[in-house]
Amino acid sequence: MGALPQRTEAVVLRTTNYSEADRIVTLLTADQGLRKGFAKAARNSRKRFSGGLEPFTRAIFHWREGRGTLWSLQDAELLDGHYGLRDDIRRLALAGYGVELVELLLEEGEPQPAVYSMVCAFLAYLATGGDPAVARLLLELRLVNDLGYIPHLLHCSECFRVFHQESIRFDTARGGCLCLACAGGSGFEISLGTAGSLARTLKVESDRFAGFQFGELTLHEGQKILSQVLRSILPREPKSLRFLAQL
Amino acid sequence: MLGSLPAFTRLEAELSKLPGIGRKTATRLAFHLLRTNEQDVTALAEALLELRRKVGFCRSCFHIAEGELCSICADPQRDRRRLCIVQEPQDLLAIERSRAYDGSYHVLHGALSPLDGIGPDDLKIAELMQRITEESVEEIIIATNFSVEGEATALYIAHLCKQNGVRVTRLAHGIPSGSDLEYIDAGTVQQAVLGRREF
Repeated sequence: MGALPQRTEAVVLRTTNYSEADRIVTLLTADQGLRKGFAKAARNSRKRFSGGLEPFTRAIFHWREGRGTLWSLQDAELLDGHYGLRDDIRRLALAGYGVELVELLLEEGEPQPAVYSMVCAFLAYLATGGDPAVARLLLELRLVNDLGYIPHLLHCSECFRVFHQESIRFDTARGGCLCLACAGGSGFEISLGTAGSLARTLKVESDRFAGFQFGELTLHEGQKILSQVLRSILPREPKSLRFLAQL
Repeated sequence: MLGSLPAFTRLEAELSKLPGIGRKTATRLAFHLLRTNEQDVTALAEALLELRRKVGFCRSCFHIAEGELCSICADPQRDRRRLCIVQEPQDLLAIERSRAYDGSYHVLHGALSPLDGIGPDDLKIAELMQRITEESVEEIIIATNFSVEGEATALYIAHLCKQNGVRVTRLAHGIPSGSDLEYIDAGTVQQAVLGRREF
């Protein structure tokens, strides 16, 4: 008889149907980062997986070593289906964007406990009616920060001087925020207030989403900054972004 | 080994393109056809060609049809004021088997999927909205699957239909009839509790 199955808490990022009744599941695990699992006959057996294979679901998975890096999933105990997401198309689409970002940015098998807690909080916040614009800004900013891609925000990325003017510029290719003297017209203009808000936000625990309020300008400029940063590090444009744009 | 039998290898390759058929099953089926008498093999080949030549999609509801309209759209007894939205033709057949519904249908041929980039333009949603305005539909019954993709599609269609002032309903979901609560999976029970109603 083989060893007992191992136990891991995870969020389902994506499921792909395979063959007649099987599924390949992409998981963000609490302790082992991104992993893929093979759920044999999952489409025929709701009992073993208890609805735990739907995207955005948080569950305890029992698994054994499978072929290569693919886990053989035995069953799942549902913790939270985040069913509240299904009440609003924008929140649902944004949740899709969030998990796709994670899948594109993380390396398989590399533990990322902070990202895991943050993604759980992001899904829970959206599922309970959280503000989609705030959720998107916080998720993108924290992902970029946790994975080591955060640009210079509170000082010029070239001369390293602290900003004194209210108007500054931003250019990912040159490291982040730039004073007007160094910028020489490259990048795009942002307000010092936006850079300050983003920097202050990073001081708050990354699994906290409730209680944030950003002004229109911060949301607009923040998204512009983060979109440029993400475009420079993502291997391809997220498909869910196109979907979000169609709504 | 089978490389020296190009006709056999070709059939095997064609069969393995079918959903749910892997290489081994394709080989098994090819051997089965090899042993079958010529009359039966010809009948199968003709049936496949006839399917491709004669069967298409209904120009109104996009269910499968052998002609311009499917048998449901061509039936004058059907209630045209109610329109049931399904993802695939197989879903329509499941509702028909229940004998609980005598309205008309609209087949979307898929579901919205944010993660796969399948948006409204990839489904028969524009055609649905055109039908709603042209056919004086009073009620839309959304019968997409209860998966994330099905729910996303339901939300999107409901939003569009409500803008047009049409009544929108969604199939009920929860504990299957005739089942014991203790054997139901946690996800279904969770949704049944959340979706409980006055009794």
